[in-house]
Amino acid sequence: MSAQPSVPDVDNATLEDRLYTVKYEDPGDSHLDVKVPGFCAERCDTDDCIDVCPAGVWQQTDDGVPQIAYENCLECGSCRFACPLNNVVWEYPENGAGVTYRHG
Amino acid sequence: MTEPTETTDPNYDGAFDAIVVGAGLAGSAAAITMAREGLDVIAIERGSSPGAKNVFGGVLYTPTLRELVDVDDAPLERYVAEKRFSMLTPEDETAVSMRPGAWHEEPHNDSYTVLRGEFDEWLAEQAVEDGTVLVTETTVTDLLRDERGTIVGVDTDRPNGELRAPIVVLAEGANSLVTERADLKETADRSDVAVAVKEVLEFPDTEGAIEQRFRLTDEAGVSYHYFGEGAVGDAFGGGFLYTNEDTVSVGIAYRISDAVDRQPKPEETLNAFKSHPAVAPLVRNGRTVEYTAKTIPEGGPDAIPDLVHDGAVVVGDAAGLVLNNGVHLEGTNMAIESGYHAGRAVAEAIEAGRVDAAALSSYPEHLEGSFVVRNLERYGWLMERAIEDRDLLFADLPRAIADAGEEYFRIDRDPKAVHAENAKERVLETVGGWTGAAKLAWRYRKVVS
Repeated sequence: MSAQPSVPDVDNATLEDRLYTVKYEDPGDSHLDVKVPGFCAERCDTDDCIDVCPAGVWQQTDDGVPQIAYENCLECGSCRFACPLNNVVWEYPENGAGVTYRHG
Repeated sequence: MTEPTETTDPNYDGAFDAIVVGAGLAGSAAAITMAREGLDVIAIERGSSPGAKNVFGGVLYTPTLRELVDVDDAPLERYVAEKRFSMLTPEDETAVSMRPGAWHEEPHNDSYTVLRGEFDEWLAEQAVEDGTVLVTETTVTDLLRDERGTIVGVDTDRPNGELRAPIVVLAEGANSLVTERADLKETADRSDVAVAVKEVLEFPDTEGAIEQRFRLTDEAGVSYHYFGEGAVGDAFGGGFLYTNEDTVSVGIAYRISDAVDRQPKPEETLNAFKSHPAVAPLVRNGRTVEYTAKTIPEGGPDAIPDLVHDGAVVVGDAAGLVLNNGVHLEGTNMAIESGYHAGRAVAEAIEAGRVDAAALSSYPEHLEGSFVVRNLERYGWLMERAIEDRDLLFADLPRAIADAGEEYFRIDRDPKAVHAENAKERVLETVGGWTGAAKLAWRYRKVVS
C-alpha cells in the first residue's frame, strides 16, 4: 500500500478549449461595452469584471480600460452585476447570434 | 420541430392577446396555460431555438409540470435515486446520503435531471401544439407604453419590429435587461446574485462509468451537493454533481460579491472543485462536451419585484424566484409554477376586458399562497444568518466534523470511550461548548424542521 492516498489527476480543459465546446455565432459587433471608459481608468482599482467573468471576456490593459473579447461571452450577465460603478453596457446579441447551448 | 415563423409579418402587430418574452420554462408554462384558456399567444425567443441560451444545474421538480403536460413524453435524463450532501474541507469529505427505495418507483418523487437545450425546446413545442406562435432568433429590446404608461407591447430587433398586445409576460431570465430598462425592477445587488459555471462531461474511454461510479442501474441518477472550503473556498455557495443519461453535470455557484474578492476566477474554482480528493474519482477521464455559465438570483423573498404592472407580468428568474437554502436548490419548478399562475391571471383579466395591474392581481395572490413564495419566506432568514456564520459553517465546522469522525473511528489500543470523548470535544471546542451547540441548533432549527 502506498503511504500517500492517490487522488486521480483530473485533466481540466483549458478555458480556450472549454469555450470551443460552445456553438457561437458572431453578431459582428460587441454586445458589451463600458459606459464611461474614464471610470474604468480612473475610478476602478478592483477589476471586478475581470475577476467574475467565467469566460475571459474582460481583459486587463495598460490604460486601465478593459479590453472586451465579446466573442468569448457565455451571456451569463455576471459582469453587469459585479461592476461596482454600474459601468457595464450589456445588450442581448441580436437575431439569434451569440452562444447556443446544445446541452444547457 | 415547428418551424419558426417569420416575424416581419405585419399582421402580428395587434394580432395576439399576449406576448411572452422568452421561451424558457416560465415563458412556456405561461404560454401553455394561456393558450389552453383560449388566448392567442406569441412567444418571442432570442435564441436560435428555445433553450439555446438556457442552463441550470440541474434537477427539475415536476409536480406542476405534470399538471400541464405529459411528463412521460418529456426528454428527462434520469430520475433522482440518491441525494447526497457533502461537507468538504480541502482534504476531507463528510457526507450524508439518502437512497429511499420509494424513489425508484414512479413518479420518482417528481425529481429528474434534465438538460435544458433539449428540454426547453420540447416544452416550447407543447406550447406550440396548444396554439402558441413561436418566433425564434428575435430579441425583445424594449417595452412599448401608451400615454398613460400602460405597457402595450414590445419592440424587437426585427425590421418594423414593434408588436402590440394587451399583455406582455416577461420571462427573460436572470439577466433581465428589458424588465430593468422598463423600470419594472431594480438591478439586483451583487451580494444577491450568484455566478455559476458548469461542465457537461462524457466518459468515452470508460464503459459504464456513470453506473459504476455512482452505483446506478437503468434510469436511476444522483444529485450530489457540496459545501465548504473544498467546494468553493470561503465563498458563499457550493458545488454540485448530477448524472444525466450519458453525461455528468459538474459545477459550482457562489455569490458574485465573493467572486470578485474571495475566490480565483470561476473556472479556476471549478478546476479546484473537480480536483478535490472526494470529487476527482467521480469526474476523472471526463471529456468536456460543454462549458456553460449563468447568473442565479438568490435574493430571497425580499428581492421579488412587483409581479404585475399595467399590461405586464413578471415570472421565473426575472422575478427572482429561486430557492437556495443549502439543502433545497430549486428554481425551474418555481418558474413553471409562476408561469402557470401568471397565465391564469392573464386569461381572467383578458376575459374581463381589463389589463391593469389590479386585474392581474390573482397572479401574485396565488403565487403567495403556493409553495413558491411560502418556501422563499420560510427560508428567507437563513441566508442572512449563514452569511454571518460563514467561517463557522463553511470552514471551521466541516473541519471539526471531519476531525471528529477520524478520531471517533480511530483504530489503536485506546478504548473507544477515549475516542468518543476526544471526538465530542473536537466539535464542542469549535461551536463553543454545549451552550454554543444548543445556540447553533436553535439558530438553524428551521432548516429541516
